[in-house]
Amino acid sequence: MDITHSQHGSIRIIALKGRMDAVTAPLFDKAFAEAATPDAADFVIQLDGLEYISSAGLRSILMVAKQVKAKNGRLILTGLTDEVREVFHLSGFHTILRICDTKEAALAELA
Amino acid sequence: MIRVEHLSKRFGNLEVLKDINAEIAQGEVISIIGPSGTGKSTFLRCLNLLDQPSGGRIEIDGQDILAPKANVPALRRRMGMVFQSFNLFAHLTVLENLTIGPVRLLAKPPGEAMTKGLELLRMVGLAEKAHSFPDELSGGQKQRVAIARCLSMDPEIILFDEPTSALDPTMVSEVLAVIRRLARQGMTMAIVTHEMEFARDVSTRVFYMDEGLIYEEGPPEQIFDHPQRQRTRDFIGKVRSLSYQVTSADYDLYALVGKIEGFCEKHLIPPRPAHGAQLLAEEALGILLSHPGPHDIHLTLAYSEKQRHLELRLDSRGPPGNPLETADLPDDLALAIIRNYTEDIGYERVGERNCLRLRVK
Repeated sequence: MDITHSQHGSIRIIALKGRMDAVTAPLFDKAFAEAATPDAADFVIQLDGLEYISSAGLRSILMVAKQVKAKNGRLILTGLTDEVREVFHLSGFHTILRICDTKEAALAELA
Repeated sequence: MIRVEHLSKRFGNLEVLKDINAEIAQGEVISIIGPSGTGKSTFLRCLNLLDQPSGGRIEIDGQDILAPKANVPALRRRMGMVFQSFNLFAHLTVLENLTIGPVRLLAKPPGEAMTKGLELLRMVGLAEKAHSFPDELSGGQKQRVAIARCLSMDPEIILFDEPTSALDPTMVSEVLAVIRRLARQGMTMAIVTHEMEFARDVSTRVFYMDEGLIYEEGPPEQIFDHPQRQRTRDFIGKVRSLSYQVTSADYDLYALVGKIEGFCEKHLIPPRPAHGAQLLAEEALGILLSHPGPHDIHLTLAYSEKQRHLELRLDSRGPPGNPLETADLPDDLALAIIRNYTEDIGYERVGERNCLRLRVK
């Protein structure tokens, strides 16, 4: 899985590409921990390059969502591929997480 | 007519037949099917002692043909054999091929043998080739002559060892038509064949051989439509499979993913089930590995070309119980994924192993 960081104002953006599975989910946990500096509250996680997500990936995303919420921040996921969307729907994640089609829409909402 | 008990055959260290038990009654047509190298031809060759069995017992009408005092030539004459490679005498005409045995071995008068030979050649549709030499015939014609030659010895049973395997596909049907005709006439036959439709039509019983055993036997409807055992099902369903062994939670997920991707690509499996197979493998292994070790998990991904089913099988050593139901999991996510990507989930306990079958949706 490729992980890239960027920043838009105070909003931290993490883009994921490839597979998020039992092997790579811990890499995402680590990347989030690095991005979650004390001044960081709002996050966008771009998933348009993610082709595969298993329950290990879902658990990592859920953990991140809890940490963001605990700091009264906001988290938006964007660009779900068909494969990832299906797993989000079957697990009910689409009802508990904020999802936008594009990064731009997410940034506008967080602005 | 023929009773086989605990028949075994070794070639050096190679145990080809392990424990064959079978009975063939008069008038039966037995098709012997199974993967290559499982001892089908060796079984036939042991029946008429072309290969000497390593152990066991073969009785013909109550006579033990492996007994030291058995009259093997006389017993062997009661069984005809038709080979894949015809084995005709190239220097004799077709008719001479049919008369040499009856005249020399059965002491029949030449005139009588010739009349019978011509009658048999008419029966297999080759009377006009009576004075041709084998080299002048096509493969299908040679095999029909071989069948006629076999019949010229008045056998009580005919053993066919892949009679159409060496033939051009266009010639298979002419040979099968002759065998079908013999079946209708009540000839007792045992036929090793890869022609499944033929075996289904012509047989009274089918022996499915695997692992050096008659792994499953039954009427053609059972073997071809409702096979009872896994290997029979795989063979009949033309199942292709890949296997992967997992012994620890640190298994190489990407080696497994690579194998699954390659397998799905090779068998032209559509992207949705191919993706599902990867997810199911990761989630099911995660659950199995959450049970206390040591771990011994055998994963098989099986694709039936006939039914177009993709199935993930995981058999694991452990206490009895469906591992999906007995696992102590932190949440339902893995199970939700498994339920979503499967059409059917099956579990059975086999020996000391839990066998889980996930049919990919």
